Amino acid sequence: MLKINSKTGLSSLIIFTVLLLAWVAGFSSRLFAVIRFESIIHEFDPWFNYRATAYMVENGFYKFLNWFDERAWYPLGRIVGGTVYPGLMITSGSIHYILHLLNIDVHIRDICVFLAPIFSGLTAISTYLLTKELWSAGAGLFAACFIAIVPGYISRSVAGSYDNEGIAIFALQFTYYLWVKSVKTGSIFWSCMTALSYFYMVSAWGGYVFIINLIPLHVFVLLLMGRYSNRLFTSYTTFYILGLLFSMQIPFVGFQPIRTSEHMAASGVFALIIAVAILKYFQSVLSKAEFKSLFVVGASVSAAVVFLAVVVLTYAGYIAPWSGRFYSLWDTGYAKIHIPIIASVSEHQPTTWFSFFFDLHVLITTFPAGLWYCIKNINDERVFVVLYALSAVYFAGVMVRLMLTLTPVVCMLSGIAFSVLLDLFLREEDTPRSSESDGDDEQTVSSNRRLYDKAGRVPKMKHEQVKESDGIGANLRSIIIVVMLLLLMLFAVHCTWVTSNAYSSPSIVLASYGNDGSRQILDDFREAYYWLSQNTADDARVMSWWDYGYQIAGMANRTTLVDNNTWNNSHIALVGKAMSSNESAAYEIMTSLGVDYVLVIFGGVIGYSGDDINKFLWMVRIAEGEHPKDIREGDYFTEHGEFRVDAEGSPTLLNCLMYKLSYYRFGEVRLDYRNPGGFDRTRNAVIGNKDFTLTYLEEAYTTEHWLVRIYRVKKPHEFNRPRIPFSNRIVKTQSFISKKNSKRRKGTLKNKPVVMKGKKLATKQL
Amino acid sequence: MLEELFTLPYAILEVPNMKIKKPSWVQQPSAMVMFSLILGSYFLVTGGIIYDVIVEPPSVGSTTDEHGHSRPVAFMPYRVNGQYIMEGLASSFLFSMGGVGFIVLDHIHSPLTPKLNRILITAVGFICILVSFFTTWIFMRMKLPGYLQS
Repeated sequence: MLKINSKTGLSSLIIFTVLLLAWVAGFSSRLFAVIRFESIIHEFDPWFNYRATAYMVENGFYKFLNWFDERAWYPLGRIVGGTVYPGLMITSGSIHYILHLLNIDVHIRDICVFLAPIFSGLTAISTYLLTKELWSAGAGLFAACFIAIVPGYISRSVAGSYDNEGIAIFALQFTYYLWVKSVKTGSIFWSCMTALSYFYMVSAWGGYVFIINLIPLHVFVLLLMGRYSNRLFTSYTTFYILGLLFSMQIPFVGFQPIRTSEHMAASGVFALIIAVAILKYFQSVLSKAEFKSLFVVGASVSAAVVFLAVVVLTYAGYIAPWSGRFYSLWDTGYAKIHIPIIASVSEHQPTTWFSFFFDLHVLITTFPAGLWYCIKNINDERVFVVLYALSAVYFAGVMVRLMLTLTPVVCMLSGIAFSVLLDLFLREEDTPRSSESDGDDEQTVSSNRRLYDKAGRVPKMKHEQVKESDGIGANLRSIIIVVMLLLLMLFAVHCTWVTSNAYSSPSIVLASYGNDGSRQILDDFREAYYWLSQNTADDARVMSWWDYGYQIAGMANRTTLVDNNTWNNSHIALVGKAMSSNESAAYEIMTSLGVDYVLVIFGGVIGYSGDDINKFLWMVRIAEGEHPKDIREGDYFTEHGEFRVDAEGSPTLLNCLMYKLSYYRFGEVRLDYRNPGGFDRTRNAVIGNKDFTLTYLEEAYTTEHWLVRIYRVKKPHEFNRPRIPFSNRIVKTQSFISKKNSKRRKGTLKNKPVVMKGKKLATKQL
Repeated sequence: MLEELFTLPYAILEVPNMKIKKPSWVQQPSAMVMFSLILGSYFLVTGGIIYDVIVEPPSVGSTTDEHGHSRPVAFMPYRVNGQYIMEGLASSFLFSMGGVGFIVLDHIHSPLTPKLNRILITAVGFICILVSFFTTWIFMRMKLPGYLQS
């Protein structure tokens, strides 16, 4: 009795320690960006989230819900409260509120920066809970350690990347944990908790659709496998009804859950499970023959009714057909043809093998092994994890970005695989190894997992037989364990390397490294935005490509035309058209849109590849989608179908606005002695159109490394009038007074040389 | 009442006298079949088959060396978001091989295997794992020359 108590105490202490260490390790490995640069918000979308959070903290929640942002999408504006998932802002806002109640004075920016790393610890804990429900506590500890440091998740949750995904993965894992728990117990309490957690997920991220399709799929597959039970019925019906009502409370989601096709699977399964329940009931009261005819009639009638209802409602417009983003998930060629704006985002590209290995490393090979164990010892909740794994693998293959949803399930299954294998090789040793709990996570997990290992997946019989047969020798066994630990160590090294080198760049501050290891910070973006905020009128409208909209609004606090919330394709196409037309045509568009400044990103001086010229083809494509008569993509290629900026480039390209704004006066610059003037380092070419002037715009500001160039759009009365420097200007003065009057008609000569008598000329000439 | 309801169609329709037997091959697939299907699709997806379908890259790339001869290149270097078809399939083959290695290790569990087989199985499993791991490492080095350095 006493021994059991001390054992459970020890195991819970170890669980606590490992989870705490996983949290600390995950938190600290996400701090590379803060240590190298500073506590700053990263990239693009986080700037909007930060701006919205700051607005909410300043003005209160209800003001935030009703916020109409007139500084975005000029002249349309944006209803922020109704077009945003508010979970992120509410989370950090309430943390801020609580800390201030305790008189801990933290700036909201710091909360935003550190929110994602803190939530990664919560994700690790919820992954532990979920894996524990699926397999065992040891596997759960492995999974928690994996997800704390795996690059696929770190890529979206480094300090400063203040985005929905940071908290949504926690909500996803926690919802799944509660769902599995409720299927296991069949209690209404757990399914209500599932619905609540689902509510949090809906408020945080658009990826909630993954949950509302995966859980019905789980139920459906369980029904197909003949695993219907009252537990399943209780948990699904409770979850569906409550979850539906909760999700409709988010203003951005609104009536979508009952109107769009993405959510229809859930309601279909809801109807199905009720039908199955009714049939099960009749089966218990009716005779076999009666039941058979009832089944045939009932099934055909209900199928017809459901089918007709869906068709009629879709036709009448009550149910929206699948949105384009979802088509692109199924029909992989769809986005390429129909929605250039989705295809243009680099994280919407299909995944290559490299990303799989880069983001998951050794876990990618243990994943099938874990899946194998789950399929071999199947039960209700393992069906769930198998389905989760399959759908996530497919979606990760379609889009690089959805690697994020694959990562947790890979961690869970790899945790199971490692746990089972180490179990296999450690089990037969006689001496208990629980004493050597040195700081190494994996070691601790592997050595003590035997203690609290709930049996059930390993039949007792087998275990005893193995013990009798005394399988492989102790030497071989220790070699195997050392190799496994080596693999895990290499995994940790890989994760740290990837985090430090690939995922910790704030992307608004760039760093370049010299040959001697010295570091040079390129702070051009903030320089330009600060210039905008200080030197332009408060209501100035800045036109740029949509990538930079959120940053301009967040840092420069100026009105933008388009931004990263790409809700209005035609407005973006108009900007794209302006950028890809020649100067006079662009000027017409710009005056009609009321543009005051144009901002372009140009990387030719420092060799920055993410600049506007490299993105330019997407602007052309998006513009062509809306204005096929004026813009044709083919015009921007050479005869050989190449996109080049040198002298052989197509004349349309060399004269369009984007080209001119990027390369204005670039021909005068010689970057080094080996290359002629106007050598573009990004594209390794000498630009084709060097000497040109701008008629309708003038250069307003160019940052130190030419990364950001800002131009002012001239007002209609300004152009075609040559500008003369002030010192050269001749101003007519009124000092001359005519000496003519009515009597003296004789005029005088202006500037008439005056003869001075008695003076030498030489002195004058000196 | 209920009985009338569900016998109503049979008042109009006459039930044809036929027997539909469930074909013998329709049954719940075994765990092994399911797993092989899954592993097969896993092999394809991690090899970037969807990328290959959308982007349509060549199966093997080629460069021109200094003598003007064109040489085949198996890996698209420096391009993280790009690949050739063969390189994707080769690496996903390695991924699956590593996975199979881990699964093979599981079979020492079975009590019926004699001791020699047990050692052989362990050896095969580990060779699979290590080969796949280190070859993928080399692939990474080709793809990203600075991998795990600096």
